[in-house]
Amino acid sequence: MKMEEMSLSGLDNSKLEAIAQEIYTDLVEDSCLGFCFEVHRAVKCGYFFLDDTDPESMKDFEIVDQPGLDIFGQVFNQWKSKECVCPNCSRSIAASRFAPHLEKCLGMGRNSSRIANRRIANSNNMNKSESDQEDNDDINDNDWSYGSEKKAKKRKSDKNPNSPRRSKSLKHKNGFSVCTSASYTLPLLFSSSGELSNSDPFKYNSSSGISYEALGPEELRSLLTTQCGVISEHTKKMCTRSLRCPQHTDEQRRAVRVYFLGPSAILPEVESSLDNDSFDMTDSQSLISRLQWDGSSDLSPSDSGSSKTSENQGWGLGTNSSESRKTKKKKSHLSLVGTASSLGSNKKKKPKPPAPPTPSIYDDIN
Amino acid sequence: MNKDAQMRAAINQKLIETGERERLKELLRAKLIECGWKDQLKAHCKEVIKEKGLDHVTVDDLVAEITSKGRALVPDSVKKELLQRIRTFLAQHASL
Repeated sequence: MKMEEMSLSGLDNSKLEAIAQEIYTDLVEDSCLGFCFEVHRAVKCGYFFLDDTDPESMKDFEIVDQPGLDIFGQVFNQWKSKECVCPNCSRSIAASRFAPHLEKCLGMGRNSSRIANRRIANSNNMNKSESDQEDNDDINDNDWSYGSEKKAKKRKSDKNPNSPRRSKSLKHKNGFSVCTSASYTLPLLFSSSGELSNSDPFKYNSSSGISYEALGPEELRSLLTTQCGVISEHTKKMCTRSLRCPQHTDEQRRAVRVYFLGPSAILPEVESSLDNDSFDMTDSQSLISRLQWDGSSDLSPSDSGSSKTSENQGWGLGTNSSESRKTKKKKSHLSLVGTASSLGSNKKKKPKPPAPPTPSIYDDIN
Repeated sequence: MNKDAQMRAAINQKLIETGERERLKELLRAKLIECGWKDQLKAHCKEVIKEKGLDHVTVDDLVAEITSKGRALVPDSVKKELLQRIRTFLAQHASL
């Protein structure tokens, strides 16, 4: 039977509604029948009345709806005001405070042991009791913490006392600012610039890694051409900062160089050593005359046997800072050759003399 | 009349074929449980059974007692929703 022959659209709405109602009724009756079968089966199998409770129990567990009580009939806050008797100390304690009290009273629990230990420690400190056992016990008890402290202290002492950092801190304390190879940004003191180590000669420590005794004159010269070299009064170390280090004045540097290398040793310029300007012969004469004048003014009582004429000649020409700007470039050539080789060998402390060409230039001048 | 009967039969057939009838049935059952219709009917059953005695209950007795009451107890909301769905179905398949 084809539905196309019977088109529903041709029907009235009432008929459609009637059909809908019929379908609905069928569905409802199906459900009811299904339910009936379930009930009948339950009755016949005997489990239909199982979910019922007897009326007596029903009364017992009836929901309570009175003010001041919960649905089970219990009173709220009933146990707050009650007091219990502690079995240990026989005191009457409030119920809500009973558990903590018992913990302390019996001496069990975390807090009570801590407090007891503290008390013992305090009493030991105050009494200075001769019972060493107690002290040992304390130490043993806290062994893990004490031991770690001791170890920590030992480790600290094992640190290299010669480390530059350490030396720096010491120098800070002493109030005398000393150059290190660290950055220039350190706010070291300038106040100590007036103090020179001239009064304390020949007391040089090797703590900064620069051991005066180990250096030969050649090495010393090479060092001094690149480093400040001013010796700290307190630590007796040579400053390892650059020639322009702000902690020391040129006076100090000159003094050190004169000290080491004789009266004619002059402070070389750092920047000039990097320049490659051409050398002017005519100006050299005036330079030399000026240098001699400078050198003579810096005479200081020094026994340094390292002052040799060849060395003085071979040394890079430096000037005072006041004159340096103008004549820097002209002297650069002279100092360049002298310092170039020394720069290369400076940090390695090779026992090699400066480059041979240096004396040759001087020979030409002279 | 035959046409009507035929039409009804055709519609029923369509309902079953598409599975709509099953869906409607499930929907109705769920809704009746949700609204408490089943519990009400169960309580009524218990009374009837207690009157009659547990051993003498028959299916016919139950059916006679329950279907009439059950049909009356169905809430209106459930009825309306179900009718709506049936009308929708009929409208969808009107030209088929």
